[in-house]
Amino acid sequence: MDISRPTDIADEQAEHDVHAAWLSWLGDAAILISATMGTVVALNVERPRTAALIYLIGVMFVGARSGLYRGVLAALIASFVYNFFLSEPVFRLGVTSLDELIPLLAFNVSAIVSGGLAGRLKDRAQAARAAEAKNYLLLQLSDQLQRAIKAEDVAAIARLALRPSVIEDIEIQLGEDGEGRPGRSGAQARGNGMPGRARPFEDFALNGSRGKLGTVRFVLNRQDGDRRGEPDLKAVANLLALAVDRCILLEQLSETLAAQLSEELKSALLSSVSHDLRTPLTAIEAAATSLRALRGTLTPRQEDEMLATISEQCAKLNRYTASLLDMGRIQAGIPNSQFTNVDVVEILGVALGSIRRRFPDQEICKEVPVAFAVTRANAAMLEQLIFNLLENAIVHGGEGRPILVRLTLNKVSCFLEIVDNGPGIGAAEQARVFDRFYRGSNPIQREGSGLGLYIAKGFIEAFGGTIEIHSPVIEKMGTNVTVSLPLLQKAIRVPEIADADTDS
Amino acid sequence: MQILIVDDEPAIIAALQPALAAQGYGLTCAATASEALGHVAATETDLVLLDLGLPDADGIEIISKLKKISGATVIVLSARHQEAAKVRALDEGADDYINKPFGIDELLARLRAADRRRQQAAGNLADAFRSDPLEVDFGRREVRLQGEQVKLSPKEFALLEALCRHAGCVVTQRQLLIAGWSDPNADSQYLRSYIALLRQKLEYDPSEPELVITEPGVGYRLAVNVEH
Repeated sequence: MDISRPTDIADEQAEHDVHAAWLSWLGDAAILISATMGTVVALNVERPRTAALIYLIGVMFVGARSGLYRGVLAALIASFVYNFFLSEPVFRLGVTSLDELIPLLAFNVSAIVSGGLAGRLKDRAQAARAAEAKNYLLLQLSDQLQRAIKAEDVAAIARLALRPSVIEDIEIQLGEDGEGRPGRSGAQARGNGMPGRARPFEDFALNGSRGKLGTVRFVLNRQDGDRRGEPDLKAVANLLALAVDRCILLEQLSETLAAQLSEELKSALLSSVSHDLRTPLTAIEAAATSLRALRGTLTPRQEDEMLATISEQCAKLNRYTASLLDMGRIQAGIPNSQFTNVDVVEILGVALGSIRRRFPDQEICKEVPVAFAVTRANAAMLEQLIFNLLENAIVHGGEGRPILVRLTLNKVSCFLEIVDNGPGIGAAEQARVFDRFYRGSNPIQREGSGLGLYIAKGFIEAFGGTIEIHSPVIEKMGTNVTVSLPLLQKAIRVPEIADADTDS
Repeated sequence: MQILIVDDEPAIIAALQPALAAQGYGLTCAATASEALGHVAATETDLVLLDLGLPDADGIEIISKLKKISGATVIVLSARHQEAAKVRALDEGADDYINKPFGIDELLARLRAADRRRQQAAGNLADAFRSDPLEVDFGRREVRLQGEQVKLSPKEFALLEALCRHAGCVVTQRQLLIAGWSDPNADSQYLRSYIALLRQKLEYDPSEPELVITEPGVGYRLAVNVEH
């Protein structure tokens, strides 16, 4: 089916052309016949000069309309008819006086002049149309090539953009030593075992900003010798070279950036690990060895303090290694196959419980006027990230100042706001707080791992949500962290449960 | 109570030994799955503390074998964020789990809960549950909170009974759906709704429950001896 379609179109086109040619001939004949009739009328009322002029106008029309050849044909017909049927002596050919010769000459000269002019005009118009088509093709090609990101995609995009045109196929060979040699042309056998004659091709060099990039081969589907409407292959090659060059530069740039990024990450990771692992380890080692060495000489109170140090620092180590693992999870990508329907209200309750055990004296104002807020998430990760945000608000919001936790809904999302009344986060810092290992400059901020907000953001985004920071909140104080998570639509409606479950 | 700890880290065993001995528990250890199965077959074992990451087998796979051989209580030692593995282990027959690293208080609390369950199972099904604020009479279907009677609907009672019979241990969502709806594939939103209703009736602050605790991603746990 597909193969026959282009032929159908060609057939229709040819049929259409034949039709147009016939109409054009009929039009010319009509003009000539009208002119003849006008001439006959003029002769009948004894106006021979007017008669000749009317005929002249007719011939000029045909010439202007249909070009030189038909103009001359019309002139010859007009000469014959005028001489044989109209001018005295009727029904005889021959020129006896100058009066008879002049009209014949005038017919032919005017036909030649008008036909020549018309022909030249038509050629110009056709050339202009062809040039416009070529430019349009090049413009479209360069437009389409903007989409290319990889050098390997350039040929495929160009192939699509140039269809249909004389360029049947484009092969790009990257690298200095391509098989194709620039300037070479010839014919190659059809690939894929397709039957048919060998196809002509032309090779061009692709030159980029830093020397030769490769070669391009245009395989052509050229009607014999006809090069009108054929795009300028050199210009196409230049456009391809530009696109390939851009793609290669882009690839190199992103590789460099990626290498740089992972280098930065590596060094941040190393310095973080060496600091955040060693500090608690040092404290534990010191306390444990003291307990052993000074056994019997320590007061119970001192012993207690050292034991407390050990378990506090262990908890810190545990949190830190957990954060590193979470970071690894985020980098590896969190598969949503682990997600279940989770009620944010319920998980918020769990996180608040853990936070109250950690900070027993902290005042927390709660505004949760919502029964359920069901989303798709990993429940343990959701608890972890809410805990991280609450802990941040308490630690950075200034010791002892109350924090506010608010959960609201609209039709599609739930919004968890955690607001502290601390010094706030400067605009410049706000952009960086989600970066890995980013820590603020004051001593409390230096205490953190620099991973809490990074992990929160990573988890939230895995759940299809967003996190935003607004600071200051009021009177140059406070930070508002707002998490929005998409609600699971089908779970919004609380099932009607009272009916089916009553004591009977 | 005879406890077998299955873990390939000798330091953990050394650290746990004195605390467990002080509680009157006997502790032996196995480093591999095959060693554990051999031990359970040869010696009377009441409780197995099972690390899921064993060198010679997937810990989850030996849970049903352990239970078949000895009927011992199985408590799984697992890492944070492995909720799917925990749920699988619980569905395979494990009785509870505890996250590593854990404090000894937490471990002892779990062991006490398991011990209580074991003793209940040894005598016939208990006909009542009693803890500090909550008393449930299963036969008369009566619930008292700090002495005050609380009226529960049949489904609420079914869920509370399942939680009470495993008091202190985690009960998976699946187990609760079976208890309440006899269908493990029922909509989990029903369960959430009923747990919310139960909390409305039993909790001081239903949005921060202290009695019916959520175990994120796993299920629920009835806290015992809640302090107020």
